[in-house]
Amino acid sequence: MTEQSYEQPCSEPGKANAEQGMVILDGPDGVAVTMTPDAAEKTGQSLIEAAGKALRQQTAADQ
Amino acid sequence: MFTERFLRNRRGVALTSEERAALEASIVEVRTIGPRTTIIRQGEDLSISTLLIDGFMSRYIDDRKGLRQLVAVHVPGDFVDLHAYPLKALDHDVSTLTSATVAIAPHVAIDALIQERPEIARKLWFSTLLDAAIHRVWLFRLGRLDAIGKVSHFLCETNARLSAIGLSDGRRFALGLTQADIAEICGLTSIHVNRVLRQLREQNLCVFRSAMVDILDLPGLERRAQFDPQYLYLRKDTGSENGDIPA
Repeated sequence: MTEQSYEQPCSEPGKANAEQGMVILDGPDGVAVTMTPDAAEKTGQSLIEAAGKALRQQTAADQ
Repeated sequence: MFTERFLRNRRGVALTSEERAALEASIVEVRTIGPRTTIIRQGEDLSISTLLIDGFMSRYIDDRKGLRQLVAVHVPGDFVDLHAYPLKALDHDVSTLTSATVAIAPHVAIDALIQERPEIARKLWFSTLLDAAIHRVWLFRLGRLDAIGKVSHFLCETNARLSAIGLSDGRRFALGLTQADIAEICGLTSIHVNRVLRQLREQNLCVFRSAMVDILDLPGLERRAQFDPQYLYLRKDTGSENGDIPA
């Protein structure tokens, strides 16, 4: 087993598209989700909030 | 012959004419079943096994909401529930997808067959190991591939399996499944599958229309799917480029 053969955090963003009144999220790493627009909006807000919190954790760890 | 497609073009398990005749003799009944009919329920006691002669069948597990995950698709020649021979019950349901013709082999007849012809036991075992190999690759497909990869992989696999039994010319085959079926196979929604099929068409890889699959660029589709047919244990001289394959 090589060092990189296990699951790593994704550094590539997923891509969202609208299809038949739903939001489709593709990737990374096989993620394939279909959401209602409302669920997609709430997921997006949740992702942004979590990303901010994760960045603050990284900053705190660096200090 | 009900068994002519059983293990056809698989490596090292060609049935002799005597073995095939003995297997045929173990069949007590042939049934035609309508589409979308569940023939075996999880946990029920079983004393027969079902050889698929014509049509498509599935094994599936429903979640608590009734949403379905297909855990296997069977094509003609597959001994769909041979697992029930030693297990005597299944941990999943079995259903037809299309109209299907099946042959019924009682377990007592399989007992006698194996006692009389031990080499058939190895070939029946091979058949269930082939199912296990396909299950492993389905795990890979569901766990590692993106949406286009999942659908592409299923189409490549089906093309290879149908080529082995002479039901694909290597590029084109009838597939009586709906987009909802493919969604349940690939763990996607129908909307997602619809989008993926459009992308495959736009990329000139594959067209799925009116229950027919036309693979426009087989190497390209296989690359997109990360498809390697090794796990299907096909005879080395079989290949999707070769058209119909001799039995």
